[in-house]
Amino acid sequence: MRPGPVSIVTGMKTGGYVPGSFRVWNWENSQVSFPEEPQAHGGHRSFMLEIEGKLRSGAHAMVQETRTRKPDLATRRAFLARFASGIFASLIAPAAAQGILDQVEAAPPGAPVGELEPPPELPEAMSGQHPVVRMMEDLRRALQKPVEQRRWAMVIDLRKCVGCYACTVACISENKLPPGIAYRPVLTETRGTYPHVSRRFIPRPCMQCENPPCVPVCPVGATWKRADGIVVINYDQCIGCRYCITACPYAARSFDAGYFYSDFEGGQPQPYELLPSPEYGQGRLRRRDASPVGNVRKCHFCLHRIERGQLPACVLSCMGWATYFGDLNDPQSLVAELVSQPNVIRLKEELGTEPKVFYLV
Amino acid sequence: MIATKTISRRDFLKLAGASAGGLAAMAALGHGFKTLSASEARQQQEAGKRVVYTACVMCPAECGLAVEVENGVISNIYGNIHVPYNSGTVCAKGVSGLQLVYNVNRIKYPMIRVGERGEGKFKRVSWEEALDYIATKLIEIKQKYGAESVIMDCGDVTDRDPYYYLFRAFGTPHTVEHGSICDTPRRHGPKLMFGGKRIEPDIMRPVLVRQPDGSLKNDYSYRTRLIIYVGWNPFTATRINYESRGTVEAKLAGARIIVIDPAFCNTATKADRWIPIRPGTDADLFAAMLRYILENHRDDDPFRRYIDWSFKEYSQGWEEFEAAFRSWWDRKDPLNGLPYFSLEWAAERTGIDAQTIAELAHTFGITKPAALVWGMNGIGHHYNGYVASILGTALNVITGNMEVPGGAIDTELVKSSKGGKASGGDFLKREVTRVVNGREVKGKIEELHMDGYGDWPAAWDDVVGDYPRRFIEGVTLRYGPFRGHRYPIKAYFIRTGNPVITGSNTQKWIEALTAKDETGNYKVELVVYIDTVFLETGLYADVVLPEASYMERMSLSDIYPVHPVLYLRDFVIRPMYESKTQYEICWALARKLHEKGDPDIQPKDFWEKYPTEEDFWNEALRVAPGRPNTGEPLPYPNLPKGYKLLGTPDSLEAGRVQIDDEKKEIRGEPLTVQWLREHHGVAVWPMSWKRFHGGGVLQTDSKKVEFVWDYTVEKDGQVQRKGRYAKYNKLIEEAGETPPSIARLGWQKYPSTFYWFETRWNPYTNPDYAKYREEYPFQVISGRIHHAMSGTQMVDWLGRLPTEDLWMPLNDERVVEEVILGENGPTPTGRRVRIPRGTWSIGVIQMNRADGERLGLKTGDLVELETPQGFKTRGKVVLVETIRPGVLRLPFGGGGRFSPGLGKTWAFQDITPNHNALVDPENLSPIMGQPAYGDVIVKVRKLG
Repeated sequence: MRPGPVSIVTGMKTGGYVPGSFRVWNWENSQVSFPEEPQAHGGHRSFMLEIEGKLRSGAHAMVQETRTRKPDLATRRAFLARFASGIFASLIAPAAAQGILDQVEAAPPGAPVGELEPPPELPEAMSGQHPVVRMMEDLRRALQKPVEQRRWAMVIDLRKCVGCYACTVACISENKLPPGIAYRPVLTETRGTYPHVSRRFIPRPCMQCENPPCVPVCPVGATWKRADGIVVINYDQCIGCRYCITACPYAARSFDAGYFYSDFEGGQPQPYELLPSPEYGQGRLRRRDASPVGNVRKCHFCLHRIERGQLPACVLSCMGWATYFGDLNDPQSLVAELVSQPNVIRLKEELGTEPKVFYLV
Repeated sequence: MIATKTISRRDFLKLAGASAGGLAAMAALGHGFKTLSASEARQQQEAGKRVVYTACVMCPAECGLAVEVENGVISNIYGNIHVPYNSGTVCAKGVSGLQLVYNVNRIKYPMIRVGERGEGKFKRVSWEEALDYIATKLIEIKQKYGAESVIMDCGDVTDRDPYYYLFRAFGTPHTVEHGSICDTPRRHGPKLMFGGKRIEPDIMRPVLVRQPDGSLKNDYSYRTRLIIYVGWNPFTATRINYESRGTVEAKLAGARIIVIDPAFCNTATKADRWIPIRPGTDADLFAAMLRYILENHRDDDPFRRYIDWSFKEYSQGWEEFEAAFRSWWDRKDPLNGLPYFSLEWAAERTGIDAQTIAELAHTFGITKPAALVWGMNGIGHHYNGYVASILGTALNVITGNMEVPGGAIDTELVKSSKGGKASGGDFLKREVTRVVNGREVKGKIEELHMDGYGDWPAAWDDVVGDYPRRFIEGVTLRYGPFRGHRYPIKAYFIRTGNPVITGSNTQKWIEALTAKDETGNYKVELVVYIDTVFLETGLYADVVLPEASYMERMSLSDIYPVHPVLYLRDFVIRPMYESKTQYEICWALARKLHEKGDPDIQPKDFWEKYPTEEDFWNEALRVAPGRPNTGEPLPYPNLPKGYKLLGTPDSLEAGRVQIDDEKKEIRGEPLTVQWLREHHGVAVWPMSWKRFHGGGVLQTDSKKVEFVWDYTVEKDGQVQRKGRYAKYNKLIEEAGETPPSIARLGWQKYPSTFYWFETRWNPYTNPDYAKYREEYPFQVISGRIHHAMSGTQMVDWLGRLPTEDLWMPLNDERVVEEVILGENGPTPTGRRVRIPRGTWSIGVIQMNRADGERLGLKTGDLVELETPQGFKTRGKVVLVETIRPGVLRLPFGGGGRFSPGLGKTWAFQDITPNHNALVDPENLSPIMGQPAYGDVIVKVRKLG
């Protein structure tokens, strides 16, 4: 099924009549003809639709102003398919009448390739700053430096972690993780006997150790520590031996056994399961017989986001504003400030792994 | 070809999938595909990406979102950082929204029931057929029984304006929402005394504050010194989003946090003190705190200066309230023989020692600014919750904490207005005629209301918990011009709500929906279920209509910030399958009704007035923000003080306004959908404090905080009756009849000031139930999990998150015959799905370890709970230290789920507990009819 322009009609923007050039997308090569001058009607358009030789009176259809960007084909087609139904035609006005969809699509998509995402424009602060704005500024500064001069680190304030799991799920969503893999679970430690009890929540991403035990054990050199500190995995090189999983004292690595969410429901992959995974900027599409299925996966500090000046998913979603990220080599960064405090600890300090994830307690 | 053919899943994937995803669709289905290079993939990805600002609806917090869409598919859900409510954060439920939108068990097509209600057998029909069926029946019902026999229940999702508009135009006063099965006792104090609803701590940061130099800046600092959360668990509920970050940040800035809750909920994990109170005794605790403060306050001793008398500047009736409160002090409680509200009395009732209660009262009195905050599963769920709510409100007021920076704020009073004429309130004023006992009576449509003029005159939220009885018995009006009028309930529309699970006792609802009359027809002739997800109530519907998910429609959210903020819900993707937005559904139904000759539905009110969706929502926005220019600092110093503000923030800021001195209104440029789209989806007006002074935001008759609720004032030589209970008492006096729910308390009418009564099914506080202490040793309460009520349990990611000893991966291994919601309702697919052991979280019963060991139980054992009335449910116990002995806690909506639309949660219905299987259906709290979910006692029996 390929779309094709059939005729050109003039259209209008909200509240007025402005000539422009439009295309009507059809499907399955049906002939669709439109009047040259649609009736202006208080911001609402009516057309006569001639489809396969039959007139569908009062049918409402959406016309789309041509754009230089590649249009969103499939959903417009589906949209037209729904609204051009003659049966429904006279019953309703289309929910998305002229202009709405144009405007919805006009919202900025995020940093174009090669550019850094600018920090959001918020009202000026009386004092201090929105933590996200501060961290994004730190990030932009760090990205001006050569990669080997950056040292990415994360600080998680356990006094503020409320155990909401937003970070766990945001990470799964951002990295398109399959069932069975969570890069950042939240550990729950409960102590005491009633009524003297305590409970602490400890999010556990990959520690991005300075001395990572997982790296030397890899028989094929599929994992290594980058110059900026992030320990990465080459899915194509990895043979799935899982030696690194055994080596990691933080259980931060997971094996991808190839599940889809739809295995448990429905059988056919859902649209979000089929989106390319942004990890390492590779855009891999999930297939049961292709990497990273059969490989080991882990947190990479959302490297693909950092490179564009965007903060990791867990940092943004954190409900307690408890997760911080930045360049430890920059004395002006928020993370450098935080790790200088006396109430900083790291997990399993005694193993000498030198994690780059610090916890405030 | 016109797309009226059935679209198979394969075709759908091809249509709706990405261009890169289109390739992916083919790939996953095993066809060949071209391997993209890394940069090709990235470029394609970039080209197809966009971000839409919208509002969540995974729970009623409805936080502002920034949703990433890749080639037409929702890819990621982040928070909208421009919305100060959640300020860029988003909880686990919010992020998981795309799994609800794309769920295979989503309602895809209109369906009409075949077979009996509850069997789950449907046939797919076209919208034309479904709407025709509904309209025909509605007109028939209206002619035979009157429009008032129709209920349009909009459940718990707040963007209901089109439904209200349509059904009010149709002529029924019963446009309802689920406030009354949520937590009305909890809201009662603020509503009665302020005209408000929800008291929250002043910890929403950032707040936009007017500076001395005239600029507007964001304040990120915290001034709170003490927050007491009573039966309120914001960290898990996330219902007031900012209470997560706000509580922990305030604590680091020096605030003390005290959590009072029978269970060690997640919020308690950050408390300086957890006080494990006995369930149902919050009122007792508040009463003791108030008595302590009144007895020990000293004006001349700074260490004892609990009361801030300046509250009298904006209140009235305190002396009468105090006198009524003190009058109980000399009386002895029949159960324990101790003087009411004394420390010893409260210690005996609450299970907290007297010293702790005294310290608590003292700390609350002496620490300023402070906020006493209470919640849904606590006070809201008990028969006598009203008493607690009134006492708690009084405590916040007399200690001078209301509306001070860092103190307590009633968020209902200060949030932006929305809706206006788009809610159709004008239609309720239409005059109609009925024949009552042979006489013709004229009155307004609203005076036909089954609760307001029936058994529940004071129920300002419709009494959904009483519907089962109404469905079976019908309605007899007791008050107002139509007194004596009888009518049955013949049509029940339920939209985005699930009363079979959440509306009081589950079995009672099923009985009512399936009850038949002598002719063998269902008493309620028409049941229509409108939603995106297929929940239990859908099984009992005659017609099922697919509503577009929250990512596929436009509307406005009802939210609770500390100052006016309003943001837009916008189209992110097109409505999927054959779902329609509320506007589309209502306008289509309106056309049908009009075509069939219904005289009340006129084109001039519908498609002529609001031809597009945007027109309708622009009407709803016209009343924004609708709050007075009041408080300190004044939001707009250059505009008249006290006048009502209307219009966009920038037009008000720039002075592009019209001043109406007669109506005392400031009219800037009206807020519109387009404006919101151009401003990151949100409008933010400035914050201020001290908004009770000079009337300000208070919505009582006197524009003051009222401690007396039925009083007279003299105006222009006339004596007028005022106060929120006065209206209802007038109805009672005119009719000479007391509503049965308060007659049960021994009242003749609603009290004019402080009152006290006991909760029910509590053997420790109510003598009527003391006899059950031995045989039914456990009180049952419910708690929140990372789900929203009963509507999100099909979402996979949320099903894998263990929560609070209530929702745990204790499933056994099962091989399930898969059932998917298809064209004909729930349909077996022939696939067998294996759910491995310990991979799926199920609802469990939280029990104190010592209790469990005494009963010979261990974690994972299956038990049955039984109430004195013989109601039962079953589930696995989890033995922990994090709950008070003698208390069991169940997840609300987390078990016994029998709708196949819930996927894996449905597969474990037999071993998970349904809290509402246990609730006493007659235990509707007296004033507002809220089912008392927390008044439950059980005995425990081990199974197998």
